[in-house]
Amino acid sequence: MGSRQITEKSLSMLRSLPRISLQNIRDNPNSKLKNKRGRGQHGGDKHGAGNKGSGQRQNFMRLGYETGNNPFYLRIPQEHYYRGHHLRREYPPLTLHNLQKIIDKDCVDTSKPIDIASLIRSGFYNFSPDLKQFGINLTDEGADIFAAKINIEVQWASEQVIAAIEKNGGVITTAYYDPHSLLLLKNPKKFFESGQAIPRRMIPPSDLIEYYTSAKSRGYLADPEEISKERVKLAQKYGYTLPNIEKDSDYTMLSERKDPRQIFYGLEPGWVVNLKDECILKPKDQELLSYYNS
Amino acid sequence: MATVLRSQCAFARLFAGKTVQILNNATDLGAKLGPGSQSVLSRKYSNYAHSPFVTKIKEQYDYEIVKKPAEWAFVKRLLPLETIPAVTPKETYPSGWIPPKEEATSLPYFIARTKNHEVPIYLDITYRGMRKITKIRKIEGDIWMLNDEIKSYLKQKNGRYVETRVHEIGRFIEAKGDHVHDLMQWAYSKGF
Repeated sequence: MGSRQITEKSLSMLRSLPRISLQNIRDNPNSKLKNKRGRGQHGGDKHGAGNKGSGQRQNFMRLGYETGNNPFYLRIPQEHYYRGHHLRREYPPLTLHNLQKIIDKDCVDTSKPIDIASLIRSGFYNFSPDLKQFGINLTDEGADIFAAKINIEVQWASEQVIAAIEKNGGVITTAYYDPHSLLLLKNPKKFFESGQAIPRRMIPPSDLIEYYTSAKSRGYLADPEEISKERVKLAQKYGYTLPNIEKDSDYTMLSERKDPRQIFYGLEPGWVVNLKDECILKPKDQELLSYYNS
Repeated sequence: MATVLRSQCAFARLFAGKTVQILNNATDLGAKLGPGSQSVLSRKYSNYAHSPFVTKIKEQYDYEIVKKPAEWAFVKRLLPLETIPAVTPKETYPSGWIPPKEEATSLPYFIARTKNHEVPIYLDITYRGMRKITKIRKIEGDIWMLNDEIKSYLKQKNGRYVETRVHEIGRFIEAKGDHVHDLMQWAYSKGF
């Protein structure tokens, strides 16, 4: 029987056989690994554990043990890069370039003051307060292309960033929020739906007081007069003419600030926001008022 | 602030529910005790679940309900966006982002923007950075013609032949290597 006959025979066989469909399709042989181990004299041989020794007996050495050597983890001197890492605060970065992109795409309204809540609302920034992340670190990447006039509140900013924003006639404030307040700013709708009263913002911890009271870092607890002096100083240092915001048409927007105890713009601590009936419950009790104003 | 006792604080429970936590810097709305509820405090219950509910609760704090308040604009500002806003045309875009142009629709092929108004060109890095593949997604129209154009453009840019792969059904093209910047420039120049 020649090869031509074989070909014809197999082709005729192929014609009579049913076509491949979802009904008769199956895996290639041995393409699936069985999850049962073989038993018996030859079926269950070594089961992948090899011959003799710790492999076969599954009594592996403890982690890091190097059979009589001075082990690696004791040979190298300790360097405490991560000492206290569980206490350190993290500020996830947002670049000025990204901020400009958000503004260009109209995902944030520059006619209103920008804070962490509005940046999260834009969908281009996110963070987790439960991972000890304390808000935005605005970084200087794209400082030379930045061209928006904004009133922004961030949690950390460098000198270059402050200069880039003030050069364009904007205002920047660095403000501290405690993790609970950040949780509310991250998802205000969820908080309003819980029906709780808006809490007070806590004051910064002792090691941050210096940063947030200093006019150089535009802290929210700094003296406004000192800040205006520092604005002029920074303009001289970086060599730009400082736009006069007092004569600006958006002066009311640019001068809008939150109270150090306030979490949301325009909403005072102690209020309960009812989203369903679109009303606000405001406390009148003297005890509550004094508590929230303290 | 004050610890939230169950007997003291039925009002807060009503507000918050069992699963929602009460923030520790919020006031405890039910903590104001009337003269009648003192006896509840003095008893020690073996279990939180065994302590009784307080049924008679007076109006504890004076408050006013402001309907249609002027501050509602501030609340609206905080609520999440329902859709991604459309971009209003501007004179300049300092970030380097460019809006899609009208002239791109007359070409035999088209690359649609993503929901975030970006050109869908991505870099896939696999095998620990050893393999880099540039992927162009959301292609409409004549995908093979687009492939030819990309090939000749990348050859002219890199001075060598660049392998590409067309997925006709998935409507995407993959090019071997990192050509994201080049292809972005090309897409912007075509008006996509």
